[in-house]
Amino acid sequence: MTDRASLLSLTRFSPARRRLLRATSAMTALALLATVAGPAATFANDAKKEGGDITFLIDSLGDTWIPNNSAISSFQGHIWGHVADKLLYVDADGKVSPWIAERWEQNVDATEFTLHLKPGVTFSDGTPLDAAAVVANLDIWYAGRKKDGINPIGLFPKTYERAEAVDAATVKVSFRKPTLGFIPTLGYHGSILISPKTLAQPASEQADLSRTAGSGPYIVESWKEGDHVTLVKRKDYNWGPPAVGHTGPAFLDTITYKLVTEPSLRVASVQSGQADVAYNASPQELSSLKDEGFTVATPRYLGFVNGFAINTKLAPYDDVKVRQALQAGINRQEIIDTVYTPDWKLATSFIQSNVPGATDQSDLLAYNPEKAEKLLDEAGWVKGADGVRVKDGKPLLLTLHSNPYLATSKAVDELLSQQLGKIGWKVAIRAYDVVTFGEKVKFGGAAVPAYEVTRSFIDAGTVAGILTNANNGENWFALDERDTTINDLRDKIAGASTIEARLPLLNTLQKYVLEQGYFIPRTQIVQRVYVQSPALKGEVYNGVAYASYYTATKSEVGQ
Amino acid sequence: MNSPYLTYAGKRLAQAAIVILLAYVFTFVVVSILPGDPITSVLRNPQNGFTEEEIAQIVAAQGIDRPVLEQLWSSLSGFLTGDLGLSMRSSRPVTTMIAEVLPSTLILATSALALALVLAVVVAYGTQVLPKRYGQGLLRAFPSLFLSVPNFVIGLLLIHLFGFQLGLFRVINPDSAWATFFAAVTLAIPISAQIAEVLIASLDHEAGQDYIAVARGRGLRQFHLFTRHLLKPSSLPVVTVIALTIGELLGGSLITETVFGRTGIGSLVQRSVSTQDLPVLQAVVSLAAVVFVLANLIADLVYPLLDPRVKLSGTRALRPSASKPAGATSP
Repeated sequence: MTDRASLLSLTRFSPARRRLLRATSAMTALALLATVAGPAATFANDAKKEGGDITFLIDSLGDTWIPNNSAISSFQGHIWGHVADKLLYVDADGKVSPWIAERWEQNVDATEFTLHLKPGVTFSDGTPLDAAAVVANLDIWYAGRKKDGINPIGLFPKTYERAEAVDAATVKVSFRKPTLGFIPTLGYHGSILISPKTLAQPASEQADLSRTAGSGPYIVESWKEGDHVTLVKRKDYNWGPPAVGHTGPAFLDTITYKLVTEPSLRVASVQSGQADVAYNASPQELSSLKDEGFTVATPRYLGFVNGFAINTKLAPYDDVKVRQALQAGINRQEIIDTVYTPDWKLATSFIQSNVPGATDQSDLLAYNPEKAEKLLDEAGWVKGADGVRVKDGKPLLLTLHSNPYLATSKAVDELLSQQLGKIGWKVAIRAYDVVTFGEKVKFGGAAVPAYEVTRSFIDAGTVAGILTNANNGENWFALDERDTTINDLRDKIAGASTIEARLPLLNTLQKYVLEQGYFIPRTQIVQRVYVQSPALKGEVYNGVAYASYYTATKSEVGQ
Repeated sequence: MNSPYLTYAGKRLAQAAIVILLAYVFTFVVVSILPGDPITSVLRNPQNGFTEEEIAQIVAAQGIDRPVLEQLWSSLSGFLTGDLGLSMRSSRPVTTMIAEVLPSTLILATSALALALVLAVVVAYGTQVLPKRYGQGLLRAFPSLFLSVPNFVIGLLLIHLFGFQLGLFRVINPDSAWATFFAAVTLAIPISAQIAEVLIASLDHEAGQDYIAVARGRGLRQFHLFTRHLLKPSSLPVVTVIALTIGELLGGSLITETVFGRTGIGSLVQRSVSTQDLPVLQAVVSLAAVVFVLANLIADLVYPLLDPRVKLSGTRALRPSASKPAGATSP
């Protein structure tokens, strides 16, 4: 009996004791650090940063591991970023720099590009990353192998014609039309370089992550579907992107991506020192986590802001005044204040402000309820006794379909419903799961006045094509061929052969789309939120807001 | 035992095969009539940037727009030749996916069943030996209490107490020994209640029999009486209940696995249902049918060993039903 009692008391008090131990060891380590800080620490060589294992808690590990079908996943992209390299590096400001391609040239029309590859790079299965391997990758990005269940990369330029290996280190790529977007696309998260041996395998084998060979700083040690992926560092890696300031092998020994679906459990595990990074914490928690000393990162990706693409075929949104009223009737600052934190930025255009070529159109996005009411009056919408505007017996209705890919989408919709309610709108909110959303909610759909966009891209030049119906474009505003101004801009942007010639055209496009109320921005989007232990430092966020721990180190503090 | 037994076993096996086949076809029909499919829903992710035209092309290339009957036929012929096909969601072989998660579920289910048995026997023993006034009434209330508390409530309580408060296991490492133990306890509690209920009823019945009064009169000690004379004849209906709860173990493991974050059959089913991954669902449903049918078959085969009075008359098994005490089967 006494034995059991003492055992019980031991287990009861052990966590407290462990916490005490942890705290004292942390303090000792801090004290040690403080003594070596200063000039000595800056000279510490890479060897001192070596080692360490981290656990990254993530809400999903996606569906399949076929590289083409999973590279753009908001979740699996994390793993691909460590397992595979890209031809070029694109940083958080959209700046393109060399990686596996050391340099590149283009012809005057931007229809032909030559890539010069870094020598001596190999995939983890031993295959050299040479011109032939690059050609195999370009081909499968463009076309996929549809019969086999291998999809093309959706945002790869559809103007691609062919690629050929000039010699072992030189690749020539041809396009049917000018394609300035090709170069930045090579740094896009879909464009990961995979061993041609892997690419030749059938889908069922490509789906086994452990059989896939990339050339990245980490290789897959083990994985279990719906559970975890453990990466171990590749010791002979020596071809990192110079832009991140380190090209040798990674410092951390292993990175484990562990699936924990409950957001509060992810954060609690980092708080209690059981894990190092929690992905996608809720925005409301962030400020208190910062106060507790955790690193909170809210990097923005290059792409569209979060907002609505308006269906101009559907009444009353076929009326430009109603669209403009919608544009002026949204208080965007209130969205940030209520739903988000100051880490979220006001939209200044319909593309994120860090995209090269984005221009500041804040004037067009100012909150002006008086103007909105006036526009609605002019358009013939009269306020009824219940505050809802009516025209020809029909209420002014806006149906919003909350985006299931963005956790905060519904909260913003609810706020918009209040804001627009004040000026006479009746807002209905529909929240569907991913499958139903995909079935029912489409750009220009018969019952979809506003499609909520979350979409990254690397090059602003591809935007105009997506908005219209040209070249397999997505016709976001259901304009078809009705608006000659936007189609004219689209053709000029597509035909531009230099970045400089394209800039003023992009500016005009942004202004026009917002003026016409085709796109109604909500906020700049932060789709990836990281909460990180203070012991982990030196990670780098790329142009699509994925964290790379290739350059990261972990100190003994905290654990 | 031989000739009627073989005919009987053959008939039962044929029935089992039909049940499994029907389960397979039924799953196919139910999932097929639902709107949407896993391939299209992945392609529709706005991040992909595919147009409807491209989506239609990819879908057509994979043959999921073929007539339903044609798809059923190819799926069924694969199933009959032992080829479960590829998952529509992950493109991995379904057999690999099941083999990957099966051990975790088996460990959970068997330890839960073992725990449930121990717990049930302890509770049932208590109802026989404790004085009527103290404790017995309380113990008799246990099964209904256990049955009425939802599985996930027990799981969350255990996680909170032993995972967070006492720090016995890390919540993010659900395959550790302690985490497995508490997951098994969660799953065992409602199952033990069902077993205990039947066992208690059966014990009460046997305890009133003359042979027990005789044994007691000979001065046998309670424990001896319980283990040597009472338990074996009372365990017949328990075998039936266990056979039935095997199915429940598979179903209940879904909730327990979710609560504890284990990656087993339950979580595979969950992922497959939410993405309408037909081949995986069909395989898991068939697996469950196989387990259920086998468990009941084994139960039938065990009866004659437990009670020599149980005989196979013709091709019908005289299996005691769970609700009736064992005595009802004696000829």
